[in-house]
Amino acid sequence: MQTGNFTVRGMTCASCAASVESMLQSAGGVADAAVNFASNSVQVKWDETTISPTDFKQILKQIGYDLDLHTDRETQAKRNEEEWIAARNRTFVAIALATPVFVLGMFFMHAGGWVHWVSMLLTAAVMAFPGRHFYTNAAKRARFGQANMDTLVALSTAIAFLYSAVNTVYPQFIQSYGIKAEVYFESAAVIIAFILLGKYFEEKAKHKSGEAIQQLMQLQPNEVTVIKNGLEERISIEDVKPFDRLLVKAGERIPVDGVVAAGSSFVDESMLSGEPVPVEKQKKSSVFAGTFNQSGLITVLAQKVGEGTVLSQIVEAVKKAQGSKAPVQKKADAIAAVFVPVVLVVAVLTFALWLLIGSLSYLPQAINSAVAVLVIACPCALGLATPTALMVGMGKAATSGILIKDATQLELAAKVNEVVFDKTGTLTLGKPQVSTQQWFAEDEPNKSVFLALEKASGHPLSLPLIEAVNAANVTLEQHQTVAGSGVWGLYGGQAFFAGKAEWIAEVAEIPKAVQEKLPLFAADETVVMFAKKNTLLAAIGLRDALKPDAKEAVAWLQNQQINCHMLSGDRPEVAQEIAKQLDIRHVKAGVLPTEKGAYLEQVKNNDKAVVAMLGDGINDAEALAKADVGVAMAQGTDIALDVAGITLMHGKLTDWVSAIKIARKTSRVINENLFWAFFYNVICIPVAAGLLYPFNGFLLSPMIAGAAMAFSSVTVVLNSLRIKSGLK
Amino acid sequence: MEHKFKTNINCNNCINAVTPFLNKEIDIERWEVDTENPNKILTVNTDLSADEVVRIVEEAGYKAAKLEQA
Repeated sequence: MQTGNFTVRGMTCASCAASVESMLQSAGGVADAAVNFASNSVQVKWDETTISPTDFKQILKQIGYDLDLHTDRETQAKRNEEEWIAARNRTFVAIALATPVFVLGMFFMHAGGWVHWVSMLLTAAVMAFPGRHFYTNAAKRARFGQANMDTLVALSTAIAFLYSAVNTVYPQFIQSYGIKAEVYFESAAVIIAFILLGKYFEEKAKHKSGEAIQQLMQLQPNEVTVIKNGLEERISIEDVKPFDRLLVKAGERIPVDGVVAAGSSFVDESMLSGEPVPVEKQKKSSVFAGTFNQSGLITVLAQKVGEGTVLSQIVEAVKKAQGSKAPVQKKADAIAAVFVPVVLVVAVLTFALWLLIGSLSYLPQAINSAVAVLVIACPCALGLATPTALMVGMGKAATSGILIKDATQLELAAKVNEVVFDKTGTLTLGKPQVSTQQWFAEDEPNKSVFLALEKASGHPLSLPLIEAVNAANVTLEQHQTVAGSGVWGLYGGQAFFAGKAEWIAEVAEIPKAVQEKLPLFAADETVVMFAKKNTLLAAIGLRDALKPDAKEAVAWLQNQQINCHMLSGDRPEVAQEIAKQLDIRHVKAGVLPTEKGAYLEQVKNNDKAVVAMLGDGINDAEALAKADVGVAMAQGTDIALDVAGITLMHGKLTDWVSAIKIARKTSRVINENLFWAFFYNVICIPVAAGLLYPFNGFLLSPMIAGAAMAFSSVTVVLNSLRIKSGLK
Repeated sequence: MEHKFKTNINCNNCINAVTPFLNKEIDIERWEVDTENPNKILTVNTDLSADEVVRIVEEAGYKAAKLEQA
């Protein structure tokens, strides 16, 4: 049993207090509830195994009150924001502290002993404050015998600092052995600043596109019209409770799961079912949150709101799929994991070789050289190699209308070898259009009558028909829609019929000669016929046509040995027809949203498979989340956009081809960057180890370390900028 | 068919409390409460009988008595 006090909002009279009390008391699992009307609070005693405070809130919301609970989502967003600000501040502080160290080390190295002391203090500050987490992370990893980039940074900077600190405080010690007392404070400080800068770039790219997605989502209305005590009132979607009656106008999205209480309309449920043709809804029909009311005004009785809707349940499943995704190891970390032990071995070998080849009297040089190897080992451009390439790659993609939310998706997109497409809205335009049109009596008045009939019908398929037929406007003498069949009307005293082929065959007589002239309709076409009492005037086929660039994109992918798959909730005949046109062999039709997720897992089962999913609907969301690379069409639903790492702003499939090209180029540049980052430092290792010492007494100096730092950073940045050019 | 009832639905929050019960009955076309009126008149457009409406209001924890049409 648990007891707690909650603030209740919305109580204004003693009847309210009694109502709150009785509602809570009658809830299963609540042992006692006592309302204090004066302090607007309620004390509840409950069994935590059967009920939770969130349920109390839900119960009270049903009757118009609210309970104060802080919401998890808000705190999460706030925490993300705080982390981002902290990362930004760390970077700025590190740069502010490291810049004077760098300037002192490069230009004032002979100005006197004070330079070393000031540099030491500033570097200590860089390491202790903005750079602290490198050391804590490295220590955590070391406990498990693992190494990553943090280890390399921590090891190299700590040793550089300690070595330099000794040479600052007690330079006579090393000088007494005939070795110059060098300091490497600027290496340590600049490495930390640069690596933080790289992390900042990465976060910044993430942060920015995150905002863009949020803006897209805000395009949807979050206010609804509720009927309250007989009057219409606009309220926020969050304040809608079960059993509210909501007015949903044509052109609005249905905000809740519920049933139609009044009115009738066609509702586009494609986001849930994948089916492009809207469904007719009347009193007592079920409607679902997120679906689109196309034609009429309906009153919806809310049954499930907020987290209870089918939509939210899908979102939950999607979040689960997202959460279970293993993070991708970063290339820099993978390299560091190998590089760290190698460097340690080289340092030990250096020490041993000095003593073996020389003698025990070379002990100071041996220690000095081993330390120098560790100091030079960490390339300062290491942290910049990946983020700068990703940033330029993402910027390049953005200018082509490809929005990349998650940088790792860009790295993965380069390796994609299986692509799974959703059919409706991804490969196809997502709305039916006239594909075949045959008129048996071409004359103008017939077309005009057809146009007038279609305008009168209000059927979802009438819009593309009206678009496709050009004719003057005429006024019908009379017209009537026949539910589920078509529409008929009177013009010039004659009856005209437009509708399904089966219905036309019933109401009109079609001469044999005309029947033989009927066009052959494809499996994925819906046929509408237009007739007079005794003859057929027209036969028109509609289909959800392929996007104009679908063939080109699929052909390119297949040419690159990338396997293409197609999933569809549509009928098998239709799916097969589309697949045939695109030459896609792996097709699955009639799939439910959960089956899409399962199909994706099946494709992913092959160890070598890197799978991309392209979709637009809520029914694709789980599959998008499970895919290595999720790609959403910007015209799609919020959830698809939210889940996908990549959004194609123009919904063009050739942009997906461009995305892969940019990804491949970015990936190549990252590899080159990592090579160049290490290159200058690695060639300095033999110098640091004392390879040149026997010939000219040359050992590592801060000048060499500084040059390596500058060359590697400049090369990496310039190389990243190359992504911008040379791609169409 | 329109029914009128005298009720103890006193304030806006009382209205909120009866709302789910009246709303969820799909055969009730429209309803409203006039809290300005001392008798707190509830007007209901429905195919249901007055007794059924009274039962729904009582379910919500309030009282209603049918007013004969004037």
